[in-house]
Amino acid sequence: MLIPRRVKHRKQHRPDRSGAAKGGTRVVFGEYGIQALEHSYVTNRQIESARIAMTRHIKRGGKVWINIYPDRPLTKKPAETRMGSGKGSPEWWIANVKPGRVMFELSGVAEPVAREALKRAIHKLPMKCKVVKREVGEA
Amino acid sequence: MSEVVIAAESRTGFGKGAARKIRREHKVPVVLYGHGTDPRHLSLPGHELLLALRTPNVLIRLEGAVTELAIPKGVQRDPIKGFLEHVDLLLVKRGEKVTVDIPVTVVGEVADGILDQQMVSVSVETEATHIPEGVEVDVAGLEVGAQISAGDLKLPKGTTLVADPEALVLIVSGAQAAEPVEGEAAEGEAAETAEGESAEAAAEGESAE
Repeated sequence: MLIPRRVKHRKQHRPDRSGAAKGGTRVVFGEYGIQALEHSYVTNRQIESARIAMTRHIKRGGKVWINIYPDRPLTKKPAETRMGSGKGSPEWWIANVKPGRVMFELSGVAEPVAREALKRAIHKLPMKCKVVKREVGEA
Repeated sequence: MSEVVIAAESRTGFGKGAARKIRREHKVPVVLYGHGTDPRHLSLPGHELLLALRTPNVLIRLEGAVTELAIPKGVQRDPIKGFLEHVDLLLVKRGEKVTVDIPVTVVGEVADGILDQQMVSVSVETEATHIPEGVEVDVAGLEVGAQISAGDLKLPKGTTLVADPEALVLIVSGAQAAEPVEGEAAEGEAAETAEGESAEAAAEGESAE
């Protein structure tokens, strides 16, 4: 599971949810990718689950890239607790994903296999996504 | 390569307001420069330009506000919807040599292992009016460990390589995903949850420090 080894501030503000991805919007390493169509916080467990769904389907062969990293902590106050008394304890590690971001990439397998593998991975993610293919000779 | 003729209109308004107005009319703001001339701001019909840009390094003949030959230098697209936001066109002349990136396409199936394509386009020098659509690499029968560098590519006639000849284009590596898949299949979801807990515990430990 992806988790930062060391953080400067263990309790942070919630990341900004507005706007679109500034970079990482194209498939650059593999042949196919998963592109986010909505904003969402993606936890490290969801990333791992999507990766497992993908690699199990492609079986042998193929290479997977994960382009996002869950480097932001989210906190939660315990249930049935009165308000106040400081910020809750860190509960999740999340990647702040904005629309347009290519989160996973895949190569080395036939197109139908790749599309099915990515579809299975999309089911593990918390937002609407689409499968994108690397454009040939895109300027 | 054949030319694509597109009617160009000159553009007087600048900035995002004017650009958005042009896009609302299904046109694309374009800038044309090269050969030491001042940049010229144009607008081109969106659909025709979109179709033309499906061919890599397409040669565009502009008519109307200007009569010039140009090739695309930079294309800005909307990351989700894919429509054209802005295009940079580079002025070219007949017979002139230009340096462009042409796509590298793979043909055939490797005998064993995974094909890892490191370079999807290669930089070449060629005549502006005869830019090849791409270069093909035949990988049929390649074994694990085989590699092809930029110098090994069979470039079309009249084209010279600009990229480093030693640069790796593709390599055939051994199956990579097999080990983790088998390991995970055995451990199942139980391992996933246990891992999650340990990660949380680690985070807690970190916080104590």
